[in-house]
Amino acid sequence: MSKTALVVDDSPTMRQMVAFTLTNAGFNVVEAEHGKDAVNKVIAGPKMDIVVTDLNMPEMDGIGLIKELRKMAAFKFTPILMLTTESAIEKKQAGKEAGATGWIVKPFNPEVMLKIIAKVLPA
Amino acid sequence: MRDAQGFVSQTTACNEVSDLVGLKAHQQAWESFAACAVSMIPVLKKQMEAVTQQTQRAATDLMTHISALTLQEAPSRSTETSARLSQIVMAMQFQDITQQKLEHVAQALDQWDKHLQALLKGPQDENAKQEIATLEQLEQSYTMEEERRLHVATLAPDYQEPVPIDTEQTEAESDSVTLF
Repeated sequence: MSKTALVVDDSPTMRQMVAFTLTNAGFNVVEAEHGKDAVNKVIAGPKMDIVVTDLNMPEMDGIGLIKELRKMAAFKFTPILMLTTESAIEKKQAGKEAGATGWIVKPFNPEVMLKIIAKVLPA
Repeated sequence: MRDAQGFVSQTTACNEVSDLVGLKAHQQAWESFAACAVSMIPVLKKQMEAVTQQTQRAATDLMTHISALTLQEAPSRSTETSARLSQIVMAMQFQDITQQKLEHVAQALDQWDKHLQALLKGPQDENAKQEIATLEQLEQSYTMEEERRLHVATLAPDYQEPVPIDTEQTEAESDSVTLF
């Protein structure tokens, strides 16, 4: 059975590129424009196997989203990857403290992203 | 007939008037510049937004076409084709990165606009000082290492064209993934 990924980014082109990468690898993809949109979609939608989220977004940023998701029982152990242009160590630390599983700096290499996902997804 | 003292006083007064006229002209020139800049900043921002929108539309269209061309053959795709598609996806991310950089420039222009407007109202007050302080902290609004490096390099006294480019690909790739 296909796994489902939640892709959160305020840039439609970035969502499209991540969705393209994951769809090609056999994932079902649910897209959200920002943290709040993502929270609404996970409440109403299917179970997510992995989350790939941007950091800087309107309404609710990536750190806020991770904190919200980690409060939900269904997301306690779900891998959450941050995908952002931000590479500052203090930001990465904030992501780690919020509960991110990993941090990928844009521009992402699709092959590298898929390897990381394979590594963090439970067998 | 004037004595020496009277001549000196008159000369000093003339110089002071000349200085005041010079200062007034200088002030008028600054006010004209500030007023012009305040009216032009929104125009520059709109131009940047238009570029962003156009490149976003182009990138979205390209990705839609690439998806349509490649999705059906996904299971039987050769390694070489997959590698080439990865390179395309990486290259296409220029749009998002350029958009973010332009947004940071737009934020700086907003601060500059506010500061000029505050100066046009009169002598530098607390608001104007605050706006200029925010502008001086522009670096903090950057999200990309490349932006920070370019900022520092451009401010250096020996800065020369061409603009410094990003670090070597290998270095960038090794720093691009962190697992916690």
